Amino acid sequence: MRPLESLRLSWRSIRGHRLRSGLTTLGVIIGVAAVIAFVALGASLQAGIIGDISPDDQRNLYGWAADPDTEGGPLAGAQFVFTQDDMDGVSELDEVEAAYGYATIEAQSVTYGGETQLQGDGLVAAGPSYIRDTSLADGRQFEMGANETVINAATAEQFEENVSVGDELEVQTATGGAETLTVVGITETSEGLSPFEGFEAAPRIYVPTDPFYERQAVGPAAGQDGEDAEAEDGGALFLAIVVEAPTADQDDIDTTRDAAIAYLESDESDASAFLGDDLAVTLQTSTELLQQLEDVLGLLQNFIVGIAAISLVVGSIGIANIMLVSVTERTREIGIMKAVGAQNRDVLGLFLAESVILGVIGAVLGTILGVAAAALGAWYIDLPLVYPLEYVALAIAVGIIVGVASGLYPAWRAARTDPIDALRYE
Amino acid sequence: MESPADAVTMVDVRKTYHVGEPVHALDGVSLSIPRGSYTAIMGPSGSGKSTLMNLVGCLDTPTAGSVSVGGSDISTLDERERTTVRGTEVGFVFQTFNLMPRLTALENVALPQLFQGVSRAERIERAGGLLERVGLGDRKDHLPKELSGGQRQRVALARALVNDPALVLADEPTGNLDTETEAEVLDLFEEFHEAGTTLVVVTHERHVAERADRIVHLLDGEIERIEQLDGAGEPESEPGTADGDQGAGDEPATEQDGDR
Repeated sequence: MRPLESLRLSWRSIRGHRLRSGLTTLGVIIGVAAVIAFVALGASLQAGIIGDISPDDQRNLYGWAADPDTEGGPLAGAQFVFTQDDMDGVSELDEVEAAYGYATIEAQSVTYGGETQLQGDGLVAAGPSYIRDTSLADGRQFEMGANETVINAATAEQFEENVSVGDELEVQTATGGAETLTVVGITETSEGLSPFEGFEAAPRIYVPTDPFYERQAVGPAAGQDGEDAEAEDGGALFLAIVVEAPTADQDDIDTTRDAAIAYLESDESDASAFLGDDLAVTLQTSTELLQQLEDVLGLLQNFIVGIAAISLVVGSIGIANIMLVSVTERTREIGIMKAVGAQNRDVLGLFLAESVILGVIGAVLGTILGVAAAALGAWYIDLPLVYPLEYVALAIAVGIIVGVASGLYPAWRAARTDPIDALRYE
Repeated sequence: MESPADAVTMVDVRKTYHVGEPVHALDGVSLSIPRGSYTAIMGPSGSGKSTLMNLVGCLDTPTAGSVSVGGSDISTLDERERTTVRGTEVGFVFQTFNLMPRLTALENVALPQLFQGVSRAERIERAGGLLERVGLGDRKDHLPKELSGGQRQRVALARALVNDPALVLADEPTGNLDTETEAEVLDLFEEFHEAGTTLVVVTHERHVAERADRIVHLLDGEIERIEQLDGAGEPESEPGTADGDQGAGDEPATEQDGDR
């Protein structure tokens, strides 16, 4: 019998049991959709994160001091050890383009033109070059020691009247103080500019560490000398630092890293007093930091895909089950076909074709559903949808495999049915 | 023993089933069914009718003896070859019609050709022509459930003939039909017989069997007697012909080797 004829006959019998076939297929649809959706979302997430690293960011080294045995992402186990003097010292090294502290200042609200918005994420305090020229849509970087700020698009647009360069914002900090800031620049993107911030889009306000961090730092950040330190310039301690290499070249980055760490761990720096034997300085590029994050994401994704794959297995069991029922139900038909000359392989082919059709339909519909779900998810968390085309081919292959695996035994049972018994079967 | 003029030749055929005690369903049967003949097989339950039919229909193999269908000795064939012989040399007509419920009349008739790899266009032409011949030219696209019992049996007959078999084997073909339809179907059988089709009808109804040229009476797995009919619905039985006589002058070489 010709393969096309098998498919035609099998399709006929699938259509003869629409509801049953539909429900059977649903198992595979859900399984494939779940796998595809999670894989595509994971790929989109990774692409979204990696896509955020601009060439400029690639020469930035993000650093903190922590116990070398501490596991985790950026800033895990970090201690307040770096002073502004340290940053100045690192900046002066030949191998270093710039170095500055990084901190977030707890804030409560932002007022512009009489309108007040809550500012949950706080203020980001950093050096001027933290705001890269390429990421500015308008204006310029802030200057150290000035009451200036650069805000991102989301901050500018959250007020009824858009904030523009030259306007003034009033910020209410968590410690109760109020700061009046002059907007000197607005960034293009609303996503974070470094791994310290995270990557989600949110209203952000960037300010120079001097004077804001110096003034607003509290607790351990205020330095050991307590009140004395506040009076003195450079008394506040940084948890996180950014060191810029001259270029994004890996060799340059490595020399910069080595020089900065050598300086910070030498007696010249204030930080060395805190470092002792317990703490070590870590300096990593966003790519290196993200690699860790990606590893974690990948692990999580594998786990979820594993769970989704279980539903695919359940789906194939569903097909196997329904094919067994179908074989029993159609014993007489099998008998008729054999009586009129159907070979065992013809009968095997018919039933196998049926389960393969169910598997392929399930896989194709599941792929469509999975991509739709991934697209929806990517849209919701604002990521570019990455959908490798080979998934379609893969899905069809999975459908065929599922169909063959689940249909083989039932089809074999059908094929070896004795025509004499089958014709007598009621 | 075997002559090319025979559609079926059975020589000393035995079939033993082992269900606890060995049961001799057929116990030394020799029978020839010439091409173009019309044979009825009668006998009470358990006489071996079904076993005989399964053997002639190439559904089963004998325990001993030889069965030739369309010139092939089925006891020497493997399952696959036997299926091929069955598909090409035997046409089945069943009591319960046994049509494929989801296929149209045309597709049902064409089904045996599907398994022989005949092209679609050829199948449609051949099956369409046969449906015309059985008077169902206007019912080609009907499903079995949309047809009456008589119509279904005519579809089944058309299907049995589609591969131009050596013989058509009908098992109680009128068992599920009312008297009127029964007559119609039997008339159709006769029509095809006159056109040269070899017919074997298994029945327990005398008036169905009497349409044939001869009646083979089975009893306890042996041929009790073979009754020659003059045709034309003559109900007279000929008690003496079973043994020895061999119907002197009868063309259809009725063979019955005295094995008992």
